[in-house]
Amino acid sequence: MYQSFIGLEIHIQLLTESKVFCGCTNRFGDEPNTNVCPVCMGYPGVLPALNAQAIRLSYVVARALNCEMSPQAVFERKNYFYPDMPKNYQISQFSSPLGRNGWIDVAYNGKTRRVRIHEIHLEEDAGKMIHAGDMSLLDYNRAGTPLLEIVTEPDMEFGEEAEILLQDFRRTIRYLGVCDGNMEEGSMRCDANVSVNLEGRGLGRKVEIKNLNSSRFVKMALNYEIGRQKEILDKGGKVVQETRLWNENRDVTETMRTKESAHDYRYFPEPDLPAFVPDAEFLAQVDRGLVELPAARRERFVKDYGVNEAAADFLINEKGTADFYEEVAALGADPGAAASWLQFDVRKILNRENRELAGSPLTAARLAQLLSLLSGGRIHGKIAKQVLEAVFAEDKDPGLIIREKGWEQMDDAAELAALVDRALAANAKAAAAVKAGDAKPLGFLVGQIMKATQGRAQPQMVQELLKEKLGI
Amino acid sequence: MDVSELKVTADLANIELGEEEFASLGREVEKMLDYFSKMMETDGMSLPSGPGRRAANRTRPDAVSGDADPDSLLENAPELEDRFIVIPNVL
Repeated sequence: MYQSFIGLEIHIQLLTESKVFCGCTNRFGDEPNTNVCPVCMGYPGVLPALNAQAIRLSYVVARALNCEMSPQAVFERKNYFYPDMPKNYQISQFSSPLGRNGWIDVAYNGKTRRVRIHEIHLEEDAGKMIHAGDMSLLDYNRAGTPLLEIVTEPDMEFGEEAEILLQDFRRTIRYLGVCDGNMEEGSMRCDANVSVNLEGRGLGRKVEIKNLNSSRFVKMALNYEIGRQKEILDKGGKVVQETRLWNENRDVTETMRTKESAHDYRYFPEPDLPAFVPDAEFLAQVDRGLVELPAARRERFVKDYGVNEAAADFLINEKGTADFYEEVAALGADPGAAASWLQFDVRKILNRENRELAGSPLTAARLAQLLSLLSGGRIHGKIAKQVLEAVFAEDKDPGLIIREKGWEQMDDAAELAALVDRALAANAKAAAAVKAGDAKPLGFLVGQIMKATQGRAQPQMVQELLKEKLGI
Repeated sequence: MDVSELKVTADLANIELGEEEFASLGREVEKMLDYFSKMMETDGMSLPSGPGRRAANRTRPDAVSGDADPDSLLENAPELEDRFIVIPNVL
């Protein structure tokens, strides 16, 4: 029996205005080499200066991931020669990273596993290189972007757990507002490492996997790799310690480079940056940056609002949706109805129109009003859906829409009785059948009246009136 | 310092040296290392300043300074194509 060991290295770009050690704009997608200065281009004689917001956001993440926060965050130079880093070193952390010994819980297959976080450190991102034929193109806009690296222990066993961890982590950083977690644009990146060994024998020989652009690929690559390594061991072979690339077209991992020895980055303290020592005021600021995290919110939604797990999962997925939902509930709407409307009807329209809830014509107050019109019997279900569509189309309050369109429910007994009479006269055959004991045409008669009133008649009253008139 | 260690160090620093240079550099590096070990004997902890013992953290506010002149920096590039710096292919 084999056992697999999975660890992740996650990089996230922090949402700051400027880069981590210089005043250049931190923004994705600008024209090449426009957000550059002598500091991030590695000109001689320049001095880095630490971005206060970048270090604050870093500590917020360390705190949210239950880390011991370093009383002294030291910056070091990591030396390597590659044109994506014009200084020939990257400012990073090594001996005293800002966070250590944290954890994140991963729920998979009915079990919760506590995945330990080895460390969290702040560094600068490298520039971007495009390889084209016999030349390489360099863009240093990304060089110096604040990059936070989160390293887990090899505590996971299945690709699925890694996928869930990444999804939960992404949600967490989006809740905290520290990163947008866009794996396609590269603001969140992940390398995975995995080894397989006979059970009880500890870690096997580690293989690193790169080029993982989505959490699904992380899962697929890991499960593929676990299978590959088991097969090698089954045949009595040895797994080669190497770095492999995920090939998303063929769904396999392929050798990238074989590691003969561990890299020697010759780390040494960055003499131009003093260590950062968080004081009580800074730590209080970090605490203020914390919000209720997705897992806690999910639990609270189930407990306080009585929504089911699936609805809670949907509601908490985006912080904006969860905040919206709570606002609707606070305005007195039934929490169950509000959850269901958001999960189905509202989502359907948003998907169709390819837009976000935030900034759409549907505000929390409008949804609450719609639900109150519905629960108060002033409109019924089918009309309510039309009202919702009209809110999106016309950007008006539901109350105004039903007045303007005359969609308010008809519940005047005399008015409805006249309609019933007319329907019975027009459908004498159906009426006779009901009288003779066949209950089926009753639904047809109700339908005729609903049709005649464009769905505005109160269906229960219509049914009762019909029964009364037909003497059943 | 052992020549083999010196060769590894030179390799890491991307410096190509001849055997003669290794011999002379070996003596010089030896001197530097002696100097470092002497420095290590001193009681650095009692010094008034140094990393982590400053009165206040030195940070800058998160603001775009806007004083850089990217175009003039690009003038120093050996070759450009659509604002990209062009270099021989490095994989």
